[in-house]
Amino acid sequence: MGLITKEVERAPCTVEISHRFESLHAHVRFSNGVTVNPGDEVQVQGPEIMAPFGEVVSEEREAVIFRASALERFWTRCTGDLEVMELCEFSFSEEVTL
Amino acid sequence: MNIQTMHTADMTNAEESLALQQAQSDIDSTSATDVAMQNTLLTPRFYTTDFDEMDAIDVSPVRADWDALIDEMKSDPNKGHFKKNEDWDHVDWDRMEPGLRKEFIDFLISSCTAEFSGCVLYKEMKRRGTNKDITQLFQLMARDEARHAGFINDALREAGVAINLGFLTQKKKYTYFRPKFIYYATYLSEKIGYARYITIFRHLQAHPEHRFHPIFKWFEEWCNDEFRHGEAFALLMKSDPKLTSGMNVYWIKFFLTAVYGTMYVRDHQRPAFHEALGVDPDWYAREVFTKTSELTKQIFPITLDIENPRWQRGCEKLQRANARIAEGKKRGGLGGWFTSTLNSARAAMAFAGLYTIPVKRHVVPASTRLEPAY
Repeated sequence: MGLITKEVERAPCTVEISHRFESLHAHVRFSNGVTVNPGDEVQVQGPEIMAPFGEVVSEEREAVIFRASALERFWTRCTGDLEVMELCEFSFSEEVTL
Repeated sequence: MNIQTMHTADMTNAEESLALQQAQSDIDSTSATDVAMQNTLLTPRFYTTDFDEMDAIDVSPVRADWDALIDEMKSDPNKGHFKKNEDWDHVDWDRMEPGLRKEFIDFLISSCTAEFSGCVLYKEMKRRGTNKDITQLFQLMARDEARHAGFINDALREAGVAINLGFLTQKKKYTYFRPKFIYYATYLSEKIGYARYITIFRHLQAHPEHRFHPIFKWFEEWCNDEFRHGEAFALLMKSDPKLTSGMNVYWIKFFLTAVYGTMYVRDHQRPAFHEALGVDPDWYAREVFTKTSELTKQIFPITLDIENPRWQRGCEKLQRANARIAEGKKRGGLGGWFTSTLNSARAAMAFAGLYTIPVKRHVVPASTRLEPAY
């Protein structure tokens, strides 16, 4: 990992999207055990995955991981906490007027 | 599991793919209302944390309580609750007052996104962790959140709002939170969520004429899931006394102030919603803060003094400053910039004012577990 250079790697992954009444969820699981670190960016390749209402779609895809540089990772570790309030649920969006 | 066999990505030519897309959207719209579906892209955020630190959690000091809670969650008391039955009255969305409709849809979308994001976060922790106690907990919480999201999604579909889950093929960045911040924020979020839902539920029990949508009837059992999630985080914090002592008490005060303050501001931005419920947002805030403070005494050694006259004044200042920041941004130009900058400073001052109100201290009980009692 370079100090300021980004590395790009590809990883096979399984994408599961559930658009059912019982469960609304979506997950990406890397099949080769790679892990994502602070500041990394991930993009699943291929067309948008659609799950019609009532369906669970599971697809094998390839993901591109844009690895953060050492500096970016450090920065994300230092500043990520500032956004931690996002984890709180407030029932409404932050828009002042709709 | 109902795995779809055909997908646009499997198609080799464009015509086939388009035909399938069309067929899929037909299914989607015929089963919903006749209203043209408004498409809302769900945009959850993605997080990482220090998974080694999380794996190092040892729940042995609270083992008996922990096992009892996990058993309760495994028994899945709300398994049959999130089903539409005869209590789900017809909602006449077309006749709903437009201001209320807007605010209520904002409520549903925000709640759905929050449940969905919770599910993504919990699932990630489940997957990356190796400590069985912890991964089991996060798996169970992810199950509940996905179920809640599905239930809200259905209410949205009735309102003609389709949730688009296409965000996965967009580039997304993983941000980072320290584990302890995740505990403070999610613990408070689950407990205040419980207090918010149960307060509305009890209010509507007494005033059913204000129940403008059937989803509120589901809040009682629903909020028990939030309550249990909060209990789990309380036990996690109990297992490591450092998390609730020393300098961390200042963090706890920060999170309490930020969560209460944000709730106050956001609720006051949705007047039509609260008017339709017959709820005064100031009364509601006070009720919710009082209940949340009572609950958080289980683990936090301090509570905020919301009876201090500075509290209400500070909340009002924060709310006014926030409204003016938005006004300034909307207006744009140099004048707008000046208004929003000035009011950002005012908001920061108001927050500092709230933060510096002396807290109430109390002794944390030896046993952490509570049962929902409101």
